[in-house]
Amino acid sequence: MPGRWSAEGVLALAPDESSRRAAGVLGRPAPWTDTGAAGELLWGLCAGSGQRPYQTIVDLSEPAYKCSCPSRKSPCKHALGLLLLWSAGTVPDQDSPSDFARAWQESRRASRESKGAPVPGLRSDERGTSEGATREGTGLERSEASGASRAKRRAERAQRVASGLADLREWLRDQVRVGLAAGGVPTAGNVSVIAARMTDAQAPGVASRLRALPGVARSAPRDAVPRDMGAGSGDEWPARLLSEYAMLHLLARAYDRVDTLPDELAAVVRSRVGHTTGKQDVLARAAVADRWLVLASRELTDGSVPGRRIWLRGLDTRRWAMLLTYAAPGGAWQDPDTARLRPGTELDADLHYYPGQPALRALIGQRHAPPVPAKHPEPAGDIASLLTEWAAGLEADPWLTAWPVLLTGTPVPPAAAGGVAGVAAGRPSHLVDQAGNAVPLAGRESLWTLLAISAGHPVTIGGEWHPDGPGALTALTVWGDDQAVPL
Amino acid sequence: MTDTLSFDDLVTAATIGVARKGLPTAALAGPAGSYPGAVDAGDPAAALLDAAALLTVSRRAGVQPVRGAACPPGAAAGAAPELPAPAARALRRIGGGHVAAGFAAAGSQLLADLLAAARDAGYVAPAALLPDLLDAAVRTAALRPVVAAVLGTRGRWLARHRADWRQVAELAPPDRTGASQPDGDDLQTWRTGSRGERRAYLARLRDRDPAGARELLATGWARETGEDRAALLTVLARGLSAGDEEFLEAALDDRAGTVRDLARRLLARLPGSAYRRRASQRAAAALRLESGGGSPRLVATLPGMPDDAAVRDGIDPRPPSPAIGARGWLLTELLAAAPLAHWTALCGLTPREIVALPVSPDRTTEVLAGWRLAAVRQRDGDWAQALLDAVDPEKAQNRPPAAWPPDQQLSAVLPAGVRAERIADVLLTGRDPGGGPMNVYAALAEVAGCPVPWPPVLAGAVVTVLRLATTRTTLTPLPRGLLDAAKRGLPATGDRDYAAELTRLADNYPQTWSPLLHSCAETIALRSIFLEEIR
Repeated sequence: MPGRWSAEGVLALAPDESSRRAAGVLGRPAPWTDTGAAGELLWGLCAGSGQRPYQTIVDLSEPAYKCSCPSRKSPCKHALGLLLLWSAGTVPDQDSPSDFARAWQESRRASRESKGAPVPGLRSDERGTSEGATREGTGLERSEASGASRAKRRAERAQRVASGLADLREWLRDQVRVGLAAGGVPTAGNVSVIAARMTDAQAPGVASRLRALPGVARSAPRDAVPRDMGAGSGDEWPARLLSEYAMLHLLARAYDRVDTLPDELAAVVRSRVGHTTGKQDVLARAAVADRWLVLASRELTDGSVPGRRIWLRGLDTRRWAMLLTYAAPGGAWQDPDTARLRPGTELDADLHYYPGQPALRALIGQRHAPPVPAKHPEPAGDIASLLTEWAAGLEADPWLTAWPVLLTGTPVPPAAAGGVAGVAAGRPSHLVDQAGNAVPLAGRESLWTLLAISAGHPVTIGGEWHPDGPGALTALTVWGDDQAVPL
Repeated sequence: MTDTLSFDDLVTAATIGVARKGLPTAALAGPAGSYPGAVDAGDPAAALLDAAALLTVSRRAGVQPVRGAACPPGAAAGAAPELPAPAARALRRIGGGHVAAGFAAAGSQLLADLLAAARDAGYVAPAALLPDLLDAAVRTAALRPVVAAVLGTRGRWLARHRADWRQVAELAPPDRTGASQPDGDDLQTWRTGSRGERRAYLARLRDRDPAGARELLATGWARETGEDRAALLTVLARGLSAGDEEFLEAALDDRAGTVRDLARRLLARLPGSAYRRRASQRAAAALRLESGGGSPRLVATLPGMPDDAAVRDGIDPRPPSPAIGARGWLLTELLAAAPLAHWTALCGLTPREIVALPVSPDRTTEVLAGWRLAAVRQRDGDWAQALLDAVDPEKAQNRPPAAWPPDQQLSAVLPAGVRAERIADVLLTGRDPGGGPMNVYAALAEVAGCPVPWPPVLAGAVVTVLRLATTRTTLTPLPRGLLDAAKRGLPATGDRDYAAELTRLADNYPQTWSPLLHSCAETIALRSIFLEEIR
């Protein structure tokens, strides 16, 4: 029995907005009878407008759907409703499937064995809600479809994505044709249609980026970044919006010729669009063994599913790595062993990097020893080398927004111009390295803990660099005398 | 604008719309200009987006560090040790994870107790706790002195960089370790600092050189604002001596009422001051002792309207309540201003005997009110006890606190042991000292007012009340209030393990409210860990 999916995960399968809404109505016990779950099969009878209830079946392994309703959408609203019901834990486990469910299962097995082709209506290869939110273990890697059908499906999907992105390109061009001022600051309502179109076109990465637009445009003025940060004109919402539109447009253009791009860059483009790579495929890639210092851990709260991003640094290989895990329904983590990693510990393990460049995102393969407290990290470079690495990273992936940081410097308090929070006005807080270079620190509440621990002296910090956000350097961990303090 | 296109130019074009204004044709500014082929030439909208992408990436990749950022000097190494980690953890657990929020609500006194213990043991707060402690101190004024005392050099450095924390750091005691105060001890601070900084400077000087501090204050006195004069004058309370009398006497003529009040309070504390002599003389004229004809008695003479000298000394003829007669109130005022020692010397009796003396004509209420005010102001435990034990005249009942300080104010000046014994007695007998049924809320207020940790007699009485309460299913206000107070009151160290006793009580008589007992026990256990760590 696979782990339950979240309601968000289920709704992400909806082919369009109206199915999504209808599924919400049907995702309650009232219209349902004779529901059950056995193995990877879910079934139920849903009262519809006709005399006979519809027979709805979902095979979670693919997932594949079957419903006796007349709708041509797949999954139909009944299948989505049934999944929601199951996601909420209200579908009872049964020992064996009901007759109609078993009949379908057997017919599918038979057809697969005879033809080696997928069942029509199957939508099996992707099910991410947002970039990187892989629902593990139920995707492609377990499908027993032959290589040929796989390639065929891939081509079909590529076709679908390409046509969606062509629409997106036109939409983006329209925005700058009529003028950003005419549209005003985008709202969730403004972007929902085009975002739903992207979900429909199986480009969830683009969809979530579109849904984030209102936040990008609304984000606080970059008061923590002084004008001389080179960011210059990025302060107003039209500027931020134009940058975001331009990068989406670039992504659409890149996808257009993704087959001609070098493999690694093509992998970047596909993953930014929202193709996910199955866990098994990642684990099948080369292992990088090292003792990995857990640099920093950051909660991701802006997506539809809460997540945690963990940055690692190979103590011998000097490689960076990033682990991502998302919340599972019921408050747990999909990958609790990853979520549990504490900054300031070190983990002796094999990492497997996802395809794409720069190699950052990874999965833990074999662990050679449980995590142990790490020694105070050696200084790993200064601001100049951070900026060089960052530029190199952008060269490989122009859509990159965050970069790991491990550096030693002196946090300087904000020059309080009367602001109570200390960052509202005046000069923001900086981190100054030994060479005298400085970068602005993000004005988080924990900035003051960092300042208290450093007390005006150099400290080593782990964190994230994203020069487009307010405050370029987010300190997430500080090493005081000898212990790591998460911020 | 030069002949290249900047990102700002693109933003302008995009904002208005290329359909309306078109896209200026020019090479892109900076490194992006090297990729003209990347821009779609066919469609101005596409060209705009392509150019914007080039410039966005080149801008992001070309971020430059800030040069020449000022780096203020760091905190000097502090001599005092930081709280050990287990103690810091106990502090956080009592505060519910986030010290500031948890403590500011109800337990700020508990936090103050623990911080005071840390201060007395010579510890300073660990770095990671400083922001929360400073926030708590900003919210709760009562915490400021203790938080200021455990800031250490690191905390003082930190607080200087935030406007709302600065007021807390200004209360920090002078560094007695002799470490230099890079920013605090030069005369520049005195000349140009904020009011708090100047007061801190003056306080440090006063501790080193009392006369020098007073002279420094006197030098610029005339030019200070009223609020500054009042703030700075409080410093003279440290190391007050006869040498200050002349300056304070002059301050009685100050323009600002707050300064005059302050000067009076300081003079009243100065033994042998002319101010005290004048007060005694006025009181002596209003209340005489007559011993002739058998038993001694006090004879009251209602005073006339105060003269200028009396008004200068703070005698205010306006009664605090219209129900109190003006001349009767003056009698009270004159007695309240006089040193209590005057009466013991005059009568040759103990305070208890004096308050029992008959007063004729019957001005008992006015006389007792004066003495009560004096006992509270002069923090005289003997008089307070005598007055608490005296039978209150019926007329006193309707007086406002300003004209009849309530018992609680009097018990606050009792010696701690006496105070604890009195309230323990109330708890055990269920009757007030006067013999009436216990006023639960007054009793709880009195328990909360007792210094902590409680002496055995009070701790024992509280546990007895709680044990009785565990036999009942409902929690009445008395044990409920005692449970709250016990978190900080019951001793966490010593022979008796109160945490264990409360846990046993809760386990032996499980009630719906047993979790409250457990939580109280847990807090005491955490206090015990804390105190053990800093011992």
